[in-house]
Amino acid sequence: MTVTDTATTGHEAGRVTVLEASSVTMRFGGLTAVDDVSMRVHEGEIVGLIGPNGAGKTTFFNCLTGMYVPTEGTVTLKGAILPPKPLKVVRAGMARTFQNIRLFGNMTALENVMVGRYCRTSSMALTSILRGPKFKREEAATRERAQELLDYVGLGRSTELLARNMPYGDQRRLEIARALATDPQILLLDEPTAGMNPRETEETMGLIFKIREGGLAVVVIEHDMRFIFNLCDRVLCLVRGSLLVEGTPDQVQSDHRVIEAYIGGDDEEESV
Amino acid sequence: MSRRILPDSVRATHGPKAPWLALAGGILFLLSGLLSWSYDDRILGDLSIRFYPAGIQLYAMLFGVIGVILAVLLLRRPPWLSPARGLRILGTTGIVFVVWIIASVAYQSGGLINANEGGWVALVGAVLLTLAGHLSPEVDIDVRRWPRLSSTLEIVIIVVLMAILLFTVAYTLDIQDGVIFASFLIALIGLAGGLLGTGFGGYLGFIGANNRRPLLLAAFLVAFLFPFTQDGSDANMSIATQVLIFATTALGLNIVVGLAGLLDLGYIAFLGTGAYVAAMLSSSGFATIGWKPPFVVVMLIGAATAATFGLIIGSPTLRVSGDYLAIVTLGFGEIFRLAMFNLDGNNGPDLTNGPNGIPAIPDLELLGFDFGEVHTVAGIPLGRFSNYYFVLLLLLMFVMLVFTRLNNSRIGRGWVAIREDERAAEAMGVNTFGLKLLAFSVGAFLAGLAGTIKAHQDTSVSPDQYVFLESAFLLSAVVLGGMGTVVGVLVGATILKLLPEKLREVNDYRLLVFGLLLVVMMRFRPEGLVPSKRRQLEFHEEDQELSELLQAEHLQAEHLDPEQLEPEHLQGAK
Amino acid sequence: MDAFAQQLVNGLTLGSLYALIAVGYTVVYGIIQLINFAHGEIFMIGAFGALSTWLIFFDGNLALWVLPFMILGAILASVTTAVLMERIAYRPLRHAPRLAPLISAIGISIFLQEAVRLFYGSVPFADFPDAKQRVPFPQIEVVTGPAFQLGNVTIQRSALFTIGALIMCAAGLWYFVNLTKTGRAMQAVSQDPDTARLMGINVNRIIVVAFAVGATLAAIAGIAQGLQVTNINFRMGFLAGLKAFTAAVLGGIGNVWGAVVGGLTLGIVEAMAVQFIPGTFGGSPWKDVWAFALLIIVLVFRPQGILGARVVDRA
Repeated sequence: MTVTDTATTGHEAGRVTVLEASSVTMRFGGLTAVDDVSMRVHEGEIVGLIGPNGAGKTTFFNCLTGMYVPTEGTVTLKGAILPPKPLKVVRAGMARTFQNIRLFGNMTALENVMVGRYCRTSSMALTSILRGPKFKREEAATRERAQELLDYVGLGRSTELLARNMPYGDQRRLEIARALATDPQILLLDEPTAGMNPRETEETMGLIFKIREGGLAVVVIEHDMRFIFNLCDRVLCLVRGSLLVEGTPDQVQSDHRVIEAYIGGDDEEESV
Repeated sequence: MSRRILPDSVRATHGPKAPWLALAGGILFLLSGLLSWSYDDRILGDLSIRFYPAGIQLYAMLFGVIGVILAVLLLRRPPWLSPARGLRILGTTGIVFVVWIIASVAYQSGGLINANEGGWVALVGAVLLTLAGHLSPEVDIDVRRWPRLSSTLEIVIIVVLMAILLFTVAYTLDIQDGVIFASFLIALIGLAGGLLGTGFGGYLGFIGANNRRPLLLAAFLVAFLFPFTQDGSDANMSIATQVLIFATTALGLNIVVGLAGLLDLGYIAFLGTGAYVAAMLSSSGFATIGWKPPFVVVMLIGAATAATFGLIIGSPTLRVSGDYLAIVTLGFGEIFRLAMFNLDGNNGPDLTNGPNGIPAIPDLELLGFDFGEVHTVAGIPLGRFSNYYFVLLLLLMFVMLVFTRLNNSRIGRGWVAIREDERAAEAMGVNTFGLKLLAFSVGAFLAGLAGTIKAHQDTSVSPDQYVFLESAFLLSAVVLGGMGTVVGVLVGATILKLLPEKLREVNDYRLLVFGLLLVVMMRFRPEGLVPSKRRQLEFHEEDQELSELLQAEHLQAEHLDPEQLEPEHLQGAK
Repeated sequence: MDAFAQQLVNGLTLGSLYALIAVGYTVVYGIIQLINFAHGEIFMIGAFGALSTWLIFFDGNLALWVLPFMILGAILASVTTAVLMERIAYRPLRHAPRLAPLISAIGISIFLQEAVRLFYGSVPFADFPDAKQRVPFPQIEVVTGPAFQLGNVTIQRSALFTIGALIMCAAGLWYFVNLTKTGRAMQAVSQDPDTARLMGINVNRIIVVAFAVGATLAAIAGIAQGLQVTNINFRMGFLAGLKAFTAAVLGGIGNVWGAVVGGLTLGIVEAMAVQFIPGTFGGSPWKDVWAFALLIIVLVFRPQGILGARVVDRA
């Protein structure tokens, strides 16, 4: 592993580490999709993850969020080791969006976000049937919080639209709102601006800065280099499953290995 | 979404003639009631007499009355009504009605020659009505622009409608002849559809949505009063109790299939569990367990046993998804039946008396109230089945409550998310496994509860009552009525239980028709007769128009009722 | 030891029957990931097709040369039903939610059973026996002569027919799948339907062929069953179909040879269970329970089967 290790120790020293992935490796049969990748994300930091198609970025995300069980390596969130179960990962405080949008198409925008509140609410069967004051309070709070989040991502007027009828850019933002509804400490965004026009991309950048100001750490996978280099505090470049370069946007941008990797990169599709 | 069969040019040139066609159609129908329909006077309650309408002839005249009313409306063209739609429904159903009767006359009397002029006149009338419906211009109606009535008046309307419903049901069930019964049902669909299709239906739905609680209350009052219309006769009450048990069980299954999206093909086993537990703990001489607790305890034990089975079966199997789960549940259903068949003491312990089952289960006795006896209330005798009817009605209300409240909660949202995209739901923190298990065991619990009452009402349990076909039968009630809705299942269960009881002539073809029904429903209307909007969307993923339409309706409903906290309009139950 | 050998023979016979039916589940599943729940009825229709052929053309004639014609009749009946079924009930639902084809299949299954129960022996063929009860199946000579004795092990001739049918069908299937153009197209579609379509393969036709192949084998199984049990009835498809489905999953659904292996395994396990499970839970009253238990265990704990099939994300 080749790490340009100046950025991590520099101005970020003394900040709290939110997420730490150490030596994560994912093999499918003979294929090593992610090879010994380590990553550390600090509070209020925006980290970019770049790499040519098929570099294993999304697979790495899946390992972080427990959708895959990594063959080797561990993921810790605020010092506690995360079990590789999506449910527990979300509860611990890590939320994500998907490269190919996976909204609940036949639910309204508001309901989508309300589903995100599921793990932070507790009414179970009996409470729901009896409908006591606690249930009503919780339901109202869920609704209110969901509406707040929709306003926050700029979808306050689309509350009652079915997710499947929303424009593409709005769907991406709705996914972010749904992820935020789980009260995460760290947010993983898988290509949040794919298919967006320049104006929408600009808005998304603003939204991510706003999320960071709220104290969250953000990890972004993106192919749009201008977007990544303007947005991120630190950038990691994966190539064929391994970490090639890590550093500030300027460092990574000027690294000849990154440029080579992209020019020589193959066009294999990666999947979720 | 108007259905235009005729080309626009024809509609333009002949449109103005539509009211007169409708008028002619209506008058022909009225006239047909005064004519003879059948040469043979021994069939269908004697349709051979002229100028003295009876039974079916009267139904035909009702078609005429509504046809004339619609024709007059069409002439005056009120901007807030759409008689065209009403006419189309009235006319099309009219054709079905007349053809059905002519065919029945021909079949029962041995030849088409015996069908007299009345039917043919009515047929022409029906065709004219249909034609008029297709020629007339469509009016986009918006019931929200209709005058708002005072809420008291709205409630009065609801009560009056419910009273009409009660007497219609009582009248319908009193018809003994299968063919007349069917023709009345067809006529009812046509007449109600003709009137309501003009926009009144939408308006009534609108009133209903504004007065949800009074509507529900009135509906239950009607259901509660039904036994009092039967004058002590148990014939219809026996059918009614069967419909209730069936509907209750199907509604429980709808939690599993309709809400959580899990196909359970062995659901009847949970009903069986409840029934067998009740039988084993009953004071029947054939009961295999000596302990005789009070029935309330038995109910809880039966339901808890079923729920426990649900948990035991569910916890390993719910990790299996889709069609594999269906087969696994089918396997469990069969194991249940075989086990009940085998556990007779020779093969394993004696719990069930094997194929003979446990007969002679005594009637229930709750708080000194003997269910086997006739009680007289307000001068009206209420027999054995009426007694069970009331308990089952309470049970049905309970299951409906569980269904709707679970659906409109955090849990219900979780279920929808699971149906939409299970992996995404899990990645968003929804406990998918827990929620599926919950649906499975709640469904089992409710079926077990129903089973304990069923054992006493049937007075016996045996393995052949709990075969796979019964599970398929329950499933078809859910599919026919509508996955994920309460009203749908009630409709589906009523149709599937009531029709074969009343149409004894075709009882042998019952299963054949069910099989066909499942195929046809899946092909043409997978969301069921009374669909849940969400399910409708799911089954028509590619239909953009539909999704926008339903969304608009959704928006309207939301707009009308801003303070309503629970999104009840989503469940589609009106 | 004799008991073991005898049960092995019984199990192989039973297993051959399951294997013949199981192939039908597996070829269809391999191509469109559909569990053709009504496949058991295709097997039942095959048996009735053979019986009808015999009744119409050869009533009373038990000579061996009649058998090929009966097989032909059975195949004709089964294949027609299967192809119509695909066309009417399954094809329109190919992109519907998974629940839809399954419910439709249950509908078809009930419909076919009832159609045979109600109409067999009525209107056009009123001299046919009524299918509401068990119907005797013609016991063709030679196939059902005296049994062979191998030491203390009895081998019925009908058992030999069943096992022989499986061997011939397996050979035919191998030839078809690997050496004919259609068979290779079938493999291509099951690997990747979209690419196959782009390569000019008519996917709809291949799906019909898959249904037809499954139906052919099920029809032969129907005759084997009729010869072995000596009578047939309209309900016979339900249990046989379920067990064959178990066999298909056991061998790895989607894998044609898995179906054969799974069928034989299930047959042997079932025969041994009847013989060797002691106590009051043993013997034939419980054998179906054990078969279902095996079905559940396989589906839950090893849904990819013994040989392992392509595992599709079934979520």
